[in-house]
Amino acid sequence: MFFLVFFGVSFFAFNTVTSFKADTPISQTNIVYTPEYTSNIVINKDGTIIIDGQKMAQKIDLLADSDELRLPVIDKPATDIDLATFIVTLPKANAGEVTHEILGIHGVGEINSFVQDENTIIYQARNVSTYATVSIVAKLPKGTIAPSFSYWILSNIPNLGSIWLVLGLVLPIATFILMMLFILLRLQSQKVQAPKDETDALPMAIPPGVVGVLFHQKVGAREIAATLIDLACRGDILILDRSRGFGFAKNHLDKRLIGYEKILLSKIFKHNLVSDKEEIDRRINAHLYSKKISVLSLGISNLATRLGYFKTNPQTIYLRYKVIGSIVCVLGLAGFFFSLSQYANTSYLAFLWLGMVISTLVVSCMVQKIPVRTSLGQDNYNNWLAFKKYLESDKKIPYSPDNQEIFQRYLPYAIVLECEIKWAKRFSEHNFIMPDWFVSDKEGLGLEDFCLSLFPIVSYVSRSFAAIREPGFR
Amino acid sequence: MNNNFFTKLIYGGGVFFDTIKWVALVCVILAIVNTFFFSIFFVDGQSMEPNLHDKEVVFWRKSSVEADRLSRGQIVLVKYPGDPEHKQYVKRVIGLPGETLEIKESKVFINGKVTKQEYIPVYFRTEPDGIWMMKENEYFIMGDNRENSSDSRIFGPVERRFVLGHASAVIFPRFLLVRDM
Repeated sequence: MFFLVFFGVSFFAFNTVTSFKADTPISQTNIVYTPEYTSNIVINKDGTIIIDGQKMAQKIDLLADSDELRLPVIDKPATDIDLATFIVTLPKANAGEVTHEILGIHGVGEINSFVQDENTIIYQARNVSTYATVSIVAKLPKGTIAPSFSYWILSNIPNLGSIWLVLGLVLPIATFILMMLFILLRLQSQKVQAPKDETDALPMAIPPGVVGVLFHQKVGAREIAATLIDLACRGDILILDRSRGFGFAKNHLDKRLIGYEKILLSKIFKHNLVSDKEEIDRRINAHLYSKKISVLSLGISNLATRLGYFKTNPQTIYLRYKVIGSIVCVLGLAGFFFSLSQYANTSYLAFLWLGMVISTLVVSCMVQKIPVRTSLGQDNYNNWLAFKKYLESDKKIPYSPDNQEIFQRYLPYAIVLECEIKWAKRFSEHNFIMPDWFVSDKEGLGLEDFCLSLFPIVSYVSRSFAAIREPGFR
Repeated sequence: MNNNFFTKLIYGGGVFFDTIKWVALVCVILAIVNTFFFSIFFVDGQSMEPNLHDKEVVFWRKSSVEADRLSRGQIVLVKYPGDPEHKQYVKRVIGLPGETLEIKESKVFINGKVTKQEYIPVYFRTEPDGIWMMKENEYFIMGDNRENSSDSRIFGPVERRFVLGHASAVIFPRFLLVRDM
């Protein structure tokens, strides 16, 4: 926050000091003024200006109805000047059509300007003090100069005004539409046939976290929650629901734990057997980002990749998009600030760059929707959709001791397949028996109470864990 | 600052991304606000005495759209037409486009009618005498300190394109809304 406030205030303060494009201020040139000072100013056909043989960085401004020379020719001279004369030579013999004027402030006597001949305009200022600024103005009719194409483009960029604003709005919208089309095309090429029949058995004995990656193409809170309940169902941990808060306790240690499951357990338990809410909160807040959770995520998606569901780890693919997106985003931001600094008062151009930045953000957000499964992954995805259909069916499951056990066994899969509520409803006619891995100090809990107690606990922990994953971790 | 703090601060590259993300967002918002909507400036000089004092900080509203019309009495920021890239002034709008402004015997006439100038003391003299006719899109601006101000009386009416915006309030060292001046 400190950095943000400091940076914000500094930036604001810096910008309030008007910072206009510096041309070549006359005060920075090596002009030696004399009491009778005469200067020759030549306007070239290409719009460049030469003062006494010295080419200026400033060019003729291209306006809508005329091309304009607006040039400070004296700014706080070292000595008083009795008579300053500026002979302006035009590139075309049309001096009579040129609107000319001389401006003088802070101690200038008589000023005047007149046409000498068809190519020349004379500007004169008398009694110029050492505090004075004298400027000459000549509005040339269109066609007097023929600027180069590049200069014409550069001059007209800021003049396009609100067109840039419109483009800045259109660009992200177009990007969004293009991304949608791209995703739709990919979805068509990887078309998933909605399963006609449901499957009442697990299509494959793989951990629920991996099923979640196959389903969502990423590791999120649901995958972590499913892994936690899976660990509980397998007897590795107990979930404690107490009136003063929840907790987790180690049960028996299963030596067949997968690497990422061990990491998840080590995140919950340090050296203790029981980890309550305060302890878990402490461990979540110990770091801004958790390497363990990053490794856990990578472990689950790596396993899904090794099983052949993805050609490349989806996290790596999305990371590539995000890295390129970040680079383009930085370029867009650089362009944005450059536009603001270059075209201080007509900086609508900046919105084009802002549109580019927003477009990269659109791409970064939508990239995870691009299907990247292999054909094997597609087939398995299809099988799991058939299983999902079974889980969320409206048909009640009749009571039997075996069916009672099925509820627990399939619950982690229902969570990753986003149908845990519907799955639980299928058992609403059962006399619910509390799973032995869920320890509550409340008595007589029914199925609904069990769900209302378990889901918030697991949701809280998994969401907190998912939020502390390092961005960009590989 | 203990070691734990720094470990926590720099742990993981994510801190960098996260911080940059918010810094960039703040910068973009500030830049847009500062470029197109509002900003502040420091009064430099006495040309707007007794209403704006030297070194006061003034909050001003930018007019990004040149078609925005200004009203008489508004305090505006203008680029000096003789050196628009480097010199900006704060003055008050006196004459509007299409009007004829005359200064005679220290009084200001707009289209032949004398105008009230409650924002300047009665003993301030407005000189020199003269008549100016504003073209379409031109404004006649004057500093409140009539005896010590380089303004349209010297360099003529200014085109709308040179007007950057108008002052809204003095914010430091006092607070005063410009409309109360």
